Amino acid sequence: MVRPHLVVPDRTVKILQWAMAGGFILFVGAIVTWIIHLIRTAWQLRDVPSASIGISLVAIPVFLVLLGVVLYVVWGLLTDRSEA
Amino acid sequence: MAEVDTRDAILLAPIEQTGRGFYWALALLSLAILWGGIAYAVQLNEGLGVTGLHQPVSWGFYVTNFVFFIGISHAGTLISAILRLSRAEWRRPITRMAEVITVMVLFIGAGQILVDLGRPDRVMNVIRHGRYQSPLLWDATSISAYLTASLVYLYLPMIPDIALLRDRLGKRKLLYTVLALGWRGTKRQKKVLNRAISVMAILVIPIAVSVHTVVSFVFSMTLQPMWHSTIFGPYFVVGAIYSGIAALIVAMLIFRKAYGLQGYLKPIHFRYLGQLLLVMSLLWFYFTFTEYLTGYYGGEVEEMKVFWGKFTGPFWPFFWGMVLTNFLIPLLCLVRLHRHSIGKVLTASVSVLVGMWLERFTIVVPTLSYPRLPFPGGVYWPTWVELGETAASFALFALFYLLFTKLFPIISVWEIQEGREMGLKEVEERLLTYLPETAEGGAHGS
Repeated sequence: MVRPHLVVPDRTVKILQWAMAGGFILFVGAIVTWIIHLIRTAWQLRDVPSASIGISLVAIPVFLVLLGVVLYVVWGLLTDRSEA
Repeated sequence: MAEVDTRDAILLAPIEQTGRGFYWALALLSLAILWGGIAYAVQLNEGLGVTGLHQPVSWGFYVTNFVFFIGISHAGTLISAILRLSRAEWRRPITRMAEVITVMVLFIGAGQILVDLGRPDRVMNVIRHGRYQSPLLWDATSISAYLTASLVYLYLPMIPDIALLRDRLGKRKLLYTVLALGWRGTKRQKKVLNRAISVMAILVIPIAVSVHTVVSFVFSMTLQPMWHSTIFGPYFVVGAIYSGIAALIVAMLIFRKAYGLQGYLKPIHFRYLGQLLLVMSLLWFYFTFTEYLTGYYGGEVEEMKVFWGKFTGPFWPFFWGMVLTNFLIPLLCLVRLHRHSIGKVLTASVSVLVGMWLERFTIVVPTLSYPRLPFPGGVYWPTWVELGETAASFALFALFYLLFTKLFPIISVWEIQEGREMGLKEVEERLLTYLPETAEGGAHGS
């Protein structure tokens, strides 16, 4: 028996696709918040905050670049209206 | 609507239909996972006392597995990124397989730490009260970055293939439509995607190198005998790439046989990867020799206890087994690859996988068995719990990989098509730019 192809509403697809991008923003946001929380804790306890700051100087930009790449692709592909 | 070349229909066959072999594999892997599940339930209920871990050897199979799996993760992203950036045309059927390995083993590797914790709820303490002075937290951060980057790097080149599945298959329509991100293959979409893949290929290389360097810091930042070494970073990275290539070769051979991909994964691919494996074998031996010679020449008392423990003491089978499987067997197999190349490369790869696990074990356990501080020494012997967890970890990796191949093409269809359409012309043009000017051809490579 051949099953008929499921027709997915365009609106549902769009919502899910932007939700994916939103989920990634939340994920990177959570990691950045966590790293900042560790810097703040180290600062308050005077517990070698330089270590936290040094690592965050590398880690936070890496996550932000990853976020930038993902948003660039999502935006670039979803908003393209040109002919194939 | 995206079209697939009829020659490449075989690449979509595992997704369209499921054979009996898949269910057999699923059943076998599930049994191993069940064993691990029972072992973990017992450990969670009764505590780490049911394992062979004790004082002073508090790290055993779990940490060995952690270092081993994180090492294998270098197969994918790093090798794929290097081949992509160097525009090696033979990469096309390989990159996806490699990238999938990375993502899968990173999950399994990171999971080992949760198992080793005994009380997994305490991982919240790391999040709430973590201290960045500890290399353990550097590990958590760098592995998170690597996992995120590898997932993105796996997903982006899959988009055109997902669009192909969206247009071609009647099942999982919602999944493929959402993940395809409206891909229609327009000029602008191709430009956006290629640019993003190039950025990711550059980004993942330093992240991958940093991950295994940081993993080595967990050991080398201590003052423990035979751990406190300045070359541990590059030594671990070399070992990671070495085991990664071996894992990639084994995965390629399994799926070549299971899905009939002989037309895509040809002996030439295995010969090239075999040559790479040979180079890494020599490099690994160089680092191992340097590391042990330096320790021996220094002759520090505590260091020598560990040294002799590995050479002639209780750990000799692991140490010499490592030398045999990591250096002698690969060297014998790979030095001449003119005939029976696939069989030789497979033998060498399996040998390297065993050898690299032994290497991780001989780094982790002997040092803890001969502590620098005046504590009594101890011998570690795993119980059925650790064996079950280890078997389940490998089975889980194989299961994830298998399930991936049922959802997405394991060889990049669009990259193969692109290679056919543009690869030859592009390589010819590139070759001409390498050559000196000719009277007829005029200036090249300007």
